[in-house]
Amino acid sequence: MIIGTAKETYRADAALLTTRPQQTWTGVLALVLIALPFTLNDYWLYLVCLMTINAVAATGLNILTGFTGLVSLGQAAFMAVGAYTVAWMERDLGTPFPVNLVAGGLVAAGIGIVVGIPSLRVKGLYLAIATIAASFILHFLFVHWEAVTGGNTGINVAPARILGTELVSYFGLYWIIMPITVLMVLGAANLFRTRIGRAFIAIRDRDISAEVLGIPLLRYKLMSFAIASFYAGVAGGLWAYFFRVITPDSFPFMASVFLLAAIIVGGMGTIIGALLGAAFMTLVPELLRFVMDWASPWLPNATVLLSPVRTIVFGLLIIGFLVFEPQGLAEIIQRVRRFFRLWPFRT
Amino acid sequence: MFRMTRRAALGAVAGLTLAAGPALAQEEEIVIGASLPLTGVFAFAGVAIESGLNDYITLLNEEGGIDGKPVRLVYEDTGYKVEQSLAVFNKITSSEDVHFYYGDSTGFAKTIGPEIERSGDMVLAGASFATELNDPEIHPHAFITGPDYSEMVEILLEYIAEESPGATVAMINSDTEFGRDPIERTKAKAEELGLDIVLEIVTAPGAVDVSTEVLKLRRSRPDYAIFHGYVLAPLPEFITQAKELGLETQFMGTFWSMDSKQWADVGEAADGYMGVMPYRYYHDTAEDAPMLDKIREMRGVYQHSGYMQGFLSAMLMTEATKRVMASGEELTGDTLKAALNSIQDFDTGGIIGVPISIPGNSVPVGRVYRFDAAAGEMMPVSDWITLGD
Amino acid sequence: MSDWLFFIEVSLAGLGSGALLALAALAFVLIYKATQVVNLAVGELLMLGGYLFFAFAAGWGLPAWAAVPLAVIGGGLVGAVVERGIIRPMLGESAISVFMVTVGLGSVLIGLVELIWTADPRTLPAFISTKPLFLGEAYVSRKIAVAFAVAAVVIGIFLLLFRFWRGGVALRATATDQAAAYSCGINVPGVFSIAWIVGCATAAGAGILLGAIGGISPTMGVFGLSALVVVIVGGLDSILGALVGGLALGLIQSWTGTYLGGEYTNVVTFGILIVALMIRPYGLFGTHEIERL
Repeated sequence: MIIGTAKETYRADAALLTTRPQQTWTGVLALVLIALPFTLNDYWLYLVCLMTINAVAATGLNILTGFTGLVSLGQAAFMAVGAYTVAWMERDLGTPFPVNLVAGGLVAAGIGIVVGIPSLRVKGLYLAIATIAASFILHFLFVHWEAVTGGNTGINVAPARILGTELVSYFGLYWIIMPITVLMVLGAANLFRTRIGRAFIAIRDRDISAEVLGIPLLRYKLMSFAIASFYAGVAGGLWAYFFRVITPDSFPFMASVFLLAAIIVGGMGTIIGALLGAAFMTLVPELLRFVMDWASPWLPNATVLLSPVRTIVFGLLIIGFLVFEPQGLAEIIQRVRRFFRLWPFRT
Repeated sequence: MFRMTRRAALGAVAGLTLAAGPALAQEEEIVIGASLPLTGVFAFAGVAIESGLNDYITLLNEEGGIDGKPVRLVYEDTGYKVEQSLAVFNKITSSEDVHFYYGDSTGFAKTIGPEIERSGDMVLAGASFATELNDPEIHPHAFITGPDYSEMVEILLEYIAEESPGATVAMINSDTEFGRDPIERTKAKAEELGLDIVLEIVTAPGAVDVSTEVLKLRRSRPDYAIFHGYVLAPLPEFITQAKELGLETQFMGTFWSMDSKQWADVGEAADGYMGVMPYRYYHDTAEDAPMLDKIREMRGVYQHSGYMQGFLSAMLMTEATKRVMASGEELTGDTLKAALNSIQDFDTGGIIGVPISIPGNSVPVGRVYRFDAAAGEMMPVSDWITLGD
Repeated sequence: MSDWLFFIEVSLAGLGSGALLALAALAFVLIYKATQVVNLAVGELLMLGGYLFFAFAAGWGLPAWAAVPLAVIGGGLVGAVVERGIIRPMLGESAISVFMVTVGLGSVLIGLVELIWTADPRTLPAFISTKPLFLGEAYVSRKIAVAFAVAAVVIGIFLLLFRFWRGGVALRATATDQAAAYSCGINVPGVFSIAWIVGCATAAGAGILLGAIGGISPTMGVFGLSALVVVIVGGLDSILGALVGGLALGLIQSWTGTYLGGEYTNVVTFGILIVALMIRPYGLFGTHEIERL
């Protein structure tokens, strides 16, 4: 049983990793992430990459919704903005991929600020609905601004290149997707050790109080939108390099719901929550495939049931977590940790 | 985080053991991979396609397969979602030695296109008839079992120009990638044939009420109206309202809205609806169609038009494989595609009523059918029309 | 002259589909007014109503006069189960959480419908005559006219109920102040249940009308998004707002569809939503709530 950790400085208190076991496990995780592409086949590597891209977008959404309290159902539309920017730059300018990714993030951030403007007048549900509206309007642009977006046929994206080699295999792509994700997640974790992050949390807890405390709501709400959209834009850019084609239907409205569901299931307002949620929600449909395969001897038409069962499980996960475990998977992990830490005593 | 990665690692071990499999299996059988939409909005076609693919492969295997090697179809459900479809593709290709893959949607074909070209060891067939796939320059390893969507509409236009030269035509398309696909080529072809496009309607996705569109139709009174981008709804409502208003417009559709059974369910209102169909229907008892007899022997009840698509796809995929193996070459994307293109005046056993050739990525043949409500079946009204003749 | 006739015909069609929107919006308003929950699953409840009617009319072969009430009652039952099962445990949680619960509910309903009836689109057995209707010279599709009449009657009944019926007054009292309503002896949880039952039954009814016009499929729930725009523009807690907003949106969608093209209806609809949110965030007829610390 670990009794506790005494911290002697503010620095130590605000550090990301405070205990020895935390540091050890983080090291193990880093090793696993490096070893992963050497051990997985294409199918699992595909899933890991998809999971990782979703994790970036979910982390962004978590900054906006989990930490600032502004609900958005438009995160996937911002991903699309990033993906289109990257695809357009790759096609018309031919700039190197890191530049494109950053540009994708910045353009998405710009659009995010515009979409965030209604947040000055409306909040809560009304804001969520405004973001739904924004995502439908963006979808219209993607279809009809043919000179840039290629209309309904979309844009084919040339593969990302490093030092003249084209990254086309999942193995190669992993080495740009994973490091960028790690950077983005670390950035998010560090954001909440700064004044800006604390201002976000104050706004979430009660925006009027925050304003009384001297936090300019306008600036910080828009900043939160900008950061969240930047994350979405970069995720969208990675998505574009991963799938190598982007069409208006690549990011349907349900993708936004998926991301919001991911942070609910993972745990709103925690960094690890977005990661767990993105991983969990990406894997569940695949695991259901194995469950259905396994059940096929008893259920004659198991394969035909797969898709509806997935839809139902998706809905049940959202409902179940909100009703029974509002803090999400992150809280379950905390409970498990507490159990081991306090063992043999009970919590 | 740790629990997740451990699960993934377990999966990896499972995957590796599977990956070791194909080296042994390769000697004994030919594997065709497929992403099939067995559930979701496209399930009605996916289920039929699956039966079609499997039935032809069963027939072939009963006759000894290809060079004595049996053919096996490996497929999984995608729910008609591109990401699921990709997951299935990755799962199947990383555990099997696949040289022909059957995809389920245009989105999937476009997404996987670059990967197919890069790996260069397979040809992609599928349920999509998208015009842009029919470009051997951009998609050298893709292939469409039938005319592409633009060619389907062109077949209809040729029929119209033949029947009533100078007729007026309305285009009704859904506001989707599928719906907008043939618009440009339709206009060009109509002008070439001297037909007058008097009305272009694009319906909003999920639009329920079509009465405003019918009003437009009533104003311009076209001789023909061609639907594309729909399966069933809102066509029956369109046709019913137009008939009530005394319009004499002849309504037409393309392959996916041409299933005979689906219109039989609509009933009286469907009478007279026409459209282009690249294959024969299940109930066709033409003399020169031994394959249809075999199909009716295997399946006692009506099969959806998607069944024929799957059946013919399997036939052409295995034929190409047979030709490559006969020449002693290795099975790659290039050799298989060359074998497909070498198919000249090929007898499909009556699935298509004329001998077919595959000059590029498609089989530009079709026939115009008309629904007869009294018989409850689609009846041919034209001969087989081959484009480019 | 003929252009004017065309305009009138288009407008009549717009009013007809607007009435359907108003009916679906009513389902939103009823539930929001009593329980402060925005129920995004209204679109899916609509769909469920259509499928229940399909099951009774096509599956069991019941005549329309029996199948319609049964489907509406079925919708109400689903509402009761949902309220007791997943909405009541969420009492006191933030509005967003409850909103997301209804999003999850929508997904579950879609999955269940696909499981039972598969995803294939289906046509409802005809129970409305297809003979065209002429107002003067102007053509109106009879189904649209019936939808308009039904929606008008239902909304009228609800306006009267809220004004004169005890339950309606109780509902308004609950909407104004829950604690005060409790202390006056109003059974607030009962009011919640009734609001959900009536709201879901209304949605089911609207779904039958919608299905009769355009057929049913698991994706028809997107209609709920248009209805959502109606309630945001009209005011989440105003029945009159639902009526006016529904008719107005129906007209606007019909005009854009005719004069600009079908692909513009969505963008115009959501453009209106954003403008409305910027100008009157609480809706044209909604109550402006003042927030205090």
